[in-house]
Amino acid sequence: MARERLGSQRLREALAGYAFVAVPMAVFLLFFIFPIAYAVYISFFDWGVLGQIRGVGLDNYRELLDDEIFHKAVKNTLVYTAGVVPAQMALGLLLAVIVNQKIRARTFFRSAFYFPSIASSAAITAIALYIMSSNGLLNAVLGAVGLPDDTSWFGQSDTALPSIMALNAWTTSGTMMLFYLASLQSIPEEVYEAAAIDGAGPWRTFWKITFPLLKPGHFFVAVVSVIGALKVFDQAFIVGGVGGEPNYSTMTAVLYLYNQAIGNVKFGYAAAVGIVLFVFIMAVTLVQRQLFGRTEAA
Amino acid sequence: MAFPEQTPAADIGERLAVTDEPLGPKRPTGIPGRARSERIVRILAYIGLTLVALLFFVPFLWTVATSLKTLPETVGFDFLPDDPSLTAYREALTEFNFLRYTANSAGLAAAITLSDVALASLGGYAFARLRFPGREVLFVLVLATLMIPDQLRLVPVYQMLVRADLVGTYQGLFFIKMVAAVSLFLMRQYFLTIPRDLEEAAKLDNAGYFKTYWRVMLPLAGPALAAVTILTFQGIWNELFWPLIILQDPEKWTLPIGIAQFVSVYQTLWPQLMAASVIAILPIAVIYVFFQRYFVAGIAASGVKG
Repeated sequence: MARERLGSQRLREALAGYAFVAVPMAVFLLFFIFPIAYAVYISFFDWGVLGQIRGVGLDNYRELLDDEIFHKAVKNTLVYTAGVVPAQMALGLLLAVIVNQKIRARTFFRSAFYFPSIASSAAITAIALYIMSSNGLLNAVLGAVGLPDDTSWFGQSDTALPSIMALNAWTTSGTMMLFYLASLQSIPEEVYEAAAIDGAGPWRTFWKITFPLLKPGHFFVAVVSVIGALKVFDQAFIVGGVGGEPNYSTMTAVLYLYNQAIGNVKFGYAAAVGIVLFVFIMAVTLVQRQLFGRTEAA
Repeated sequence: MAFPEQTPAADIGERLAVTDEPLGPKRPTGIPGRARSERIVRILAYIGLTLVALLFFVPFLWTVATSLKTLPETVGFDFLPDDPSLTAYREALTEFNFLRYTANSAGLAAAITLSDVALASLGGYAFARLRFPGREVLFVLVLATLMIPDQLRLVPVYQMLVRADLVGTYQGLFFIKMVAAVSLFLMRQYFLTIPRDLEEAAKLDNAGYFKTYWRVMLPLAGPALAAVTILTFQGIWNELFWPLIILQDPEKWTLPIGIAQFVSVYQTLWPQLMAASVIAILPIAVIYVFFQRYFVAGIAASGVKG
């Protein structure tokens, strides 16, 4: 009798458990897990808006090898990542070190630095377009200190991508700051005490002690930053439109993916772009893991 | 049957491993040379702080100032408008349809947030407390979900929405966003920190599982609920990618789409564009001012993504 009741209680608990996770699991399986397999499947087809047209095997992937605009997009994305990641990390670390000092209004500044990370990326990009327009504030400041003041930062193909890079390094530095702050806090005080007893100055203490001890933090920030950089879309879309203007200089991999899928309705081809990007993101993560060694971060 | 009123641990930061007060390493006192070097660090920090702070404050102040100007006035670089006016806001909201976009953004963000908080807290409770076969496997799936980039999902999910005739509808967007793995994860982690003895009382009372969740667990999970609410609302409010893909009818556009569109069509109507930007930023800024520590909870959760 007692065991029977226990058994039915177990069953009741299990049923409640399934019921409570049913909708979330359905959403995750349907819109996250299943689409991976579906994307691979679609990538083997010439696929239009109404579904598959014909199987093409690996042709979509072969086509990618010869697609110059795709190459341009990949190159832009790599240039972007190579520039933005170190800039984000350096700026994030600088901000973290600053707000980790015993200074007045530390909490206020920390909040302010984090703010661009949580504000609308579209609005922030619009603001950047304004400030960095040819008649904008940035050029006025440059002119005032005697530098060339007629650059159309987002309008010229040689400066458009670097401008987006600068914009995003600035926007996300607050997030990197918070990661670094957590990492800075995890360094035990005794280490600094030992350094102080040895008479190490602040500069030396930072480079010889703090910086190396931040290794788990560096790893974590690098991974988050690289993954984010490879996925850049919003700013490129708003600055350069679907065509990556001017002259494909702001065409990124994800923007290209969007174009092929939504603009050209080449779903099979777009799926192949998505898979290449996904594999690349995973590979970079694994390589970084190897380079930095396994750490307790992440 | 009375349950304890106070939450077991007051601060969400503590539970989600985010401290609100980052403290620099406390140096030992009484070591020669310490005072001087510390003063140098402080001075350097203040100089750095001033320069960096300018970089962070000027763009926003300049935006607000421009939004109160008229177009001819934007040619000059006087910081304050001669005759501050809300004309740009009025035009943005009416002529350029930003009232509509704002309402759409608010409605969508509110509906998705409500659904996300309800489903994530219920699911989080189940994963934290109820025993059922396959729980661990399912939870691994939740964690895997966190690592799948939207870009990979674009084509298959869009195709699925086409098939279901949901492209161009709010429902389509709602279905793919109605609950987020990160929200469920945050809720589960929080529930795990609540002492079990609080539920024992409910068990003795023979309350059902839903009642235990509703009466005992939810009231104790206030900080986590607040964090998930805020993060979800902010995420949906700011999101460009999926709304842009799914909501193709201009009447259904959200603020970020509206801004992107405005940029591509009207480019240099700066006061109106800045007014639209202020409209997009301000609500989140207000929430941030009052509830900023909850925003940081998302950062803690992103630790599982690495």
